[in-house]
Amino acid sequence: MSAAGLRRKSRAWTRRQLYSFFSSLGTLLNHRVGTLMTVLVLGIAMALPLGLYVTVKNLRAIDLQQNDWGTITVFLRSGMQQQEAAALADLINRDLRATVVTVSPVEGMEQFRAASGFGRALEMFDENPLPWVLLVTPASTEGGDLGAAVTELDGWLQQRDEVELVQVDFKWLQRLAGLLELGQAFVLLLTVLFSLAVIVVVSNTIRLDVASRAEEIQVLSLVGAGNGFIRQPFLYSGFWYGLLGALLSLLLFNLCLYYLRQPLERLLDAYGNTFVVQNLGMEGVLAILAAGGLLGLLGAWAAVHRYLRQLREHGTLGKL
Amino acid sequence: MITFEHVTKRFQSGSYALRDVSFQLNAGEMVFLTGHSGAGKSTLLRLILMLETATRGQVQVNGRSLGKTSMRYAPQVRRQIGMIFQDHKLLSDKTVFDNVALPLMIAGMRYVEIRKKVRAALDKVGLLGKEKSWPLMLSGGEQQRVGIARAIVGMPPILLADEPTGNLDPDLSRELFGLFRQLNAQGVTVLIASHDLALIRSMGCRVLVLSKGSLVDDISAAELAGSAA
Repeated sequence: MSAAGLRRKSRAWTRRQLYSFFSSLGTLLNHRVGTLMTVLVLGIAMALPLGLYVTVKNLRAIDLQQNDWGTITVFLRSGMQQQEAAALADLINRDLRATVVTVSPVEGMEQFRAASGFGRALEMFDENPLPWVLLVTPASTEGGDLGAAVTELDGWLQQRDEVELVQVDFKWLQRLAGLLELGQAFVLLLTVLFSLAVIVVVSNTIRLDVASRAEEIQVLSLVGAGNGFIRQPFLYSGFWYGLLGALLSLLLFNLCLYYLRQPLERLLDAYGNTFVVQNLGMEGVLAILAAGGLLGLLGAWAAVHRYLRQLREHGTLGKL
Repeated sequence: MITFEHVTKRFQSGSYALRDVSFQLNAGEMVFLTGHSGAGKSTLLRLILMLETATRGQVQVNGRSLGKTSMRYAPQVRRQIGMIFQDHKLLSDKTVFDNVALPLMIAGMRYVEIRKKVRAALDKVGLLGKEKSWPLMLSGGEQQRVGIARAIVGMPPILLADEPTGNLDPDLSRELFGLFRQLNAQGVTVLIASHDLALIRSMGCRVLVLSKGSLVDDISAAELAGSAA
């Protein structure tokens, strides 16, 4: 084929695409209520895994931020004096290269009074019942295994006579990590299931659309339209459904987040975290939109494929 | 241009629509196909349009033989054929303009060109000024003419018509046949199924006569002229 012929063909192709593009938009606009319903279903279906994904992502961010989760709280026996506590702190600091913060009973009482609101009740004690407390943080664990460091410290501290109780936050963190892993698997599962749901919903909508336009398809094929020309507007419709559904899911998700953000940040503050809830981010938004469009396209393709095979084999759409 | 070789079409019900039909239409010919209703005229046209496939025998259009295996060429074959349907086959949710423009849109023509050609086609059938009407707002005859405009807008080398004058009064019918003749003079091969014998006779064209699915007569234009004299 000559270059000019090829150019002419590609121009004709572009014009056909444009025609399909606008015709699909026209169809969606002509059936506003139906379109809205479908998009609503898709939006809700996509918002659920999206919400879970962001939740897990935020929880994982806590994990990464908080190196001091590795801190061990060591309660010394009651009756210990300042020198003994300081000596132990020095020992830990020197031998185990861990950071140690010493909290005296007086300081402990002050903190407790400020945090708990039991000020009055505490005045009833004749003497301070609180022991000396050491906050031991393992040496920098960057790249190392925080778990191993904490376990080693824990073992060493348990053996000391001065020590009454060792409280390890890290175990809690390990449990959280386990839960997060489960959560992530759950998100993946939900995403697969809801993606299937999106495909099925779009496919069914397009199937009905094809059936209601059987006459038009018939006429188009009679005047020489190829499969591509007949298929294209439906594929575009599927794409629009998916894209609009994804947009709506983002909107729904952000509304929910807006509603939940304040109580959530207050809750996290109460746990001593200065924490900012993370949103999806630009890449996330683009990925969701692309995924929505793609799933819609897949659904439409699945629906139209069957009819087009019939069209190809029999030349017409007999029964739909 | 169109060749039938021993074509038989039997439906699944077992009844025969066509039996051993053979004829040849040369490029640039204008031929009438006549016979009682149920004689197989529509089936014959549907075979050419690849809406049916022959049970036995072979149909050829423009050098391509049409069979089950060539079904994927149906769009290409149909693009060479302008077909006028008895029931118009217009899309009621598209304007007259959009209906007529369909074949050109399928061809991916530029909009400016589409506009020009659609207007020219509508002008030929006397419907210029009705572009923005909806098919259902038009009379039966006008709808028929929209269908004709759609069939000729792409200037296909073959024109098929199934009872094109069924809904038209005699004057319009005559005018329409005049239009067919004009197109034929420009080189278009025309095959018209009709049972309007008086009109057919007045046209002085070759006539194929079907009866109960068999081709019982093939009267050349010269013979027709002789018999009329």
